[in-house]
Amino acid sequence: MVNRLRRAAITALTRWSVRRHGRDELPATVNRRRIYILPTRFGIAMALLLVAMLIAGLNYNSNLGLAFGFLMASLGLVAMHHCHRNLLGLAVDLACEVDALAGEHATFNFLLRNDGAVDRCDIEIRCAEAAAFQSVPAKGYTQAAVHLLVTQRGVTHLDRFELRTRYPFGWFRAWTYVHIPLTAYVAPLPRGDRPLISAAKAAGNAHHGEFRGDEDFAGLRAYEAGVPLKHMAWKVLARGGEPAVRSYSGPAAEPEWLDWSSLERLDTEVRLSQLCRWLLDREAAQGSYGLRIPGTEIMPARGLPHRSACLRALAAYPQQVPR
Amino acid sequence: MSAPTAAADRVSLESLLWVSACLTLTLLAGIATLPLWVGMTVAAVAALRLVLAANGRDAPPRALRFTIAAVAIGLLFWQFRTFNGLAAGTALLSLMAGLKLLETRTSRDFQVITMIVYFLSLATLLESQSFWLLTYLIAVCWLTTATLLRVTSSTGIVHSQRTQWRGSLRYAGRLLAQALPLALAFWLFFPRFGGPLWAMPDNGSTATSGLSDSMSPGDITDLAQSDEIAFRVRFSAGTPPPGQRYWRGPVLHDFDGRRWHRSALSLGHADLSLSNAPRLEFQGPAYRYTVSLEPSQQRWLFALDWPAHWDAAHGYLTGDYMLMQPDPVSQPIDVAVTSYAQVSTAEPLKPAMRSRDTWLPQGRNPRSVRLAQEMRRAYRNDLDYVKSVLELFHTQAFFYTLRPPRLRLDSVDEFLFESRRGFCGHYASAFALLMRAAGIPARVVTGYQGGTYNRFADYWILRQSDAHAWDEVWIDGRGWLRFDPTSVIAPERIEHGLNDSLAADSPFISRWQQRTPWLTDTRLRIDALRLLWRQRILLFDQDSQERLLGFLHIPEPDGQKVALVLAVCLVAGLAWLTWQVRRDLEPRPSDPVNRAYRRLCRRMALAGLARWPHEGAEAFAARIATVRPDLARTLRSLCHRYSALRYAAAPNHPAAASAAAATFIAAVRAFRPRDFRGSSGNRFPAIAPRSNRD
Repeated sequence: MVNRLRRAAITALTRWSVRRHGRDELPATVNRRRIYILPTRFGIAMALLLVAMLIAGLNYNSNLGLAFGFLMASLGLVAMHHCHRNLLGLAVDLACEVDALAGEHATFNFLLRNDGAVDRCDIEIRCAEAAAFQSVPAKGYTQAAVHLLVTQRGVTHLDRFELRTRYPFGWFRAWTYVHIPLTAYVAPLPRGDRPLISAAKAAGNAHHGEFRGDEDFAGLRAYEAGVPLKHMAWKVLARGGEPAVRSYSGPAAEPEWLDWSSLERLDTEVRLSQLCRWLLDREAAQGSYGLRIPGTEIMPARGLPHRSACLRALAAYPQQVPR
Repeated sequence: MSAPTAAADRVSLESLLWVSACLTLTLLAGIATLPLWVGMTVAAVAALRLVLAANGRDAPPRALRFTIAAVAIGLLFWQFRTFNGLAAGTALLSLMAGLKLLETRTSRDFQVITMIVYFLSLATLLESQSFWLLTYLIAVCWLTTATLLRVTSSTGIVHSQRTQWRGSLRYAGRLLAQALPLALAFWLFFPRFGGPLWAMPDNGSTATSGLSDSMSPGDITDLAQSDEIAFRVRFSAGTPPPGQRYWRGPVLHDFDGRRWHRSALSLGHADLSLSNAPRLEFQGPAYRYTVSLEPSQQRWLFALDWPAHWDAAHGYLTGDYMLMQPDPVSQPIDVAVTSYAQVSTAEPLKPAMRSRDTWLPQGRNPRSVRLAQEMRRAYRNDLDYVKSVLELFHTQAFFYTLRPPRLRLDSVDEFLFESRRGFCGHYASAFALLMRAAGIPARVVTGYQGGTYNRFADYWILRQSDAHAWDEVWIDGRGWLRFDPTSVIAPERIEHGLNDSLAADSPFISRWQQRTPWLTDTRLRIDALRLLWRQRILLFDQDSQERLLGFLHIPEPDGQKVALVLAVCLVAGLAWLTWQVRRDLEPRPSDPVNRAYRRLCRRMALAGLARWPHEGAEAFAARIATVRPDLARTLRSLCHRYSALRYAAAPNHPAAASAAAATFIAAVRAFRPRDFRGSSGNRFPAIAPRSNRD
């Protein structure tokens, strides 16, 4: 009952806060209009203790007792201000879209920047149920990773995340909502042991050595994000040239189509899982590949951006509506 | 919802140590009133838990914990018969904190213990109110707060344990320092009520030394060894001569042969209400003074002979002119009294009172009774007889000593005919008996006599060592007259105090003090400070608040106004606090040039042209020049001057440097980028769109 009321109150509060300050932009800076603060359970217990102290002091007509009680009450007020300040002016940035596999963690990487001259201790970043704790030194920044457990394939949207703190003493909890849509593209769990058709054709090639296809050096090409580090042409970079990547030619470099239609008579999720398995294997083998699923076709390529695009396509494939 | 302090969920030995230290230090402050075994139990339990933790072991099993808790709490109840009241409650809380320590696993347990520690500090302050105790407890509170800070925070900036503790102490100290002004506002202006909200059970545990309502021969001798302060007196009109400084305490009427009592020994005795006493006509000089009583746990107050007016809340006078109040003096109180040195009585003594004050136990002290009867026969009137008895003490070999021999059942006989060595109690007792045996109403008055003058703050200190006993004798037609047989034996006792009259007997300490006057002076100065603390802090009440408001020129102060002023103070205090806390985020540069530069940047930011955090002054000016050519010249000059002041070699003349700084500051002050219409602005109309201002 209490929990239900609590949840309803939190929902109402978040809705109201959206109406109040609308969508946010990154990097978001926490200003004082959006910091909420309430006593924690321990804080309420402390308040009751303070009332008891006050009554004791008044009843025994003890001025020193009263003085001590008032000192503790003032300490509470001061702690409230410090708790509020612990969030004030903090800037937060992050990559809003992350990739994950079902059943594993979607990791959101946050960057907390503190322009103030005081340390911010015990900042909690909370995305739905997942949270991370970090402290940010004065005039510095800290990275924090929040690992959100995602169980189901699909696109998981979060409307907001929270920054919270109970520092100091845990008597108060200050928090703020940052209304930024977070998206986790949850690809299916790689599963299935069907051989890839072309891989089956080239049996003995793709499955033997790990990097058979890397053997023949084919020249340098321009750097693009996501290239394996070992393929970087470090010497070129060291000479002061533009970042370059060594490219190779080999049988594994032949484009491969990961095709939905090659997996007939299977359940949607099982098909997606199998496609994901192929995709990851292919990526690990440094081969280029294309993805063909109903409604989407991604031309063969390789590298992290390509892999990510393919996984996102798998994640975004509509869920089968159970009948 | 789960507690997110995941890292603090495991208890570290370090935290345990600190929490145990806080608890122990708090209990040490209240050790006087805490049953010894409770303190020992807490210490033992803390030691056990620490040893377990040091060996990497968890808290002891639940069964053991429950057994210890049940036994300890059972014992406590058996001792106090209640958990209500200050002493029992404090003991219970101490035990609970100790037992909680035994099962401490999470930071939540620590939080509970710190709460108990805070409350125990308060309970200690209710019992004793010295300045040093308050200071000590605030220090302990600081330590506790730092501990709380440490155990509730899960991550830290610094990872070395030692610097973390130091940082916690510093931060907790800062918080407490910021809390102090607010606490002061609360304390000054929180509306006080006259009395307690409801009656609390008396705590009988705090026995104090002092006069009681009975006196056997050795009692006052024991008191004479005590340096404790009974009360202080400040005269506002007239100071009586030493021979008049008799502070009237319990008057004792009933004698059982050895011991004098105030409570009636047999039924049928007249009660001691004022209606039974002859009315006094006050004469002679009036003495107005304020008696500042220390808690005595007794119902009587002390006043000079003879009290006429007083301002004690429910004070009343008894039939033997004792000033009493309905409740024991359990807190320090001030009573203003007016006394008259001389009285006369026209009324006769009521027969019931006369019979009570001439009553003697049958067959006790027979030799003294016979002596009295024989002597009385030799004189024509009572007064002559009284004088002859005093003469007897004077001429015969009687000695005044702090170490009289112990007396048995018929104490007066033994004293008068055998030992002849006694303290004031012995003489007062013997004198009263000699009067009564001759049929003259007499009673023993106990109280204080003399006192030490504190010339540093103009008041008198009455210590337990000033306790005294004397007699009052009813002379028909004259009324009650005070006779002090001690003054006959040792007149210097009355004139100069105990130490002079007993130089050989007095303890080493006081002899040593006599030879070191500066030490005595220091003690007096400290006592003057103590009195100030007492008057200003301990006795701060409704009246003091009203006086304070009057001083602040707030007319007709009342409760509402006090509350209003409190509210205003708090709002001001919180505003100050907000400012303090915000200022920390961006501390004000101490250097005026830096301040001016910061102002410049702020003004530019307000005009939508914020400096990027990584941008230097010159780079900033260069960038702005491309966006706002109208500002370019002024800004470039300002930024250049700032760089020069900051980074160029200092000119040889300090005067030149400060002049350059002053012109820079003045130029910044005059520069208003938001409404910029400088001379250059006219010549070069703004080309760049003011993109940041819509």
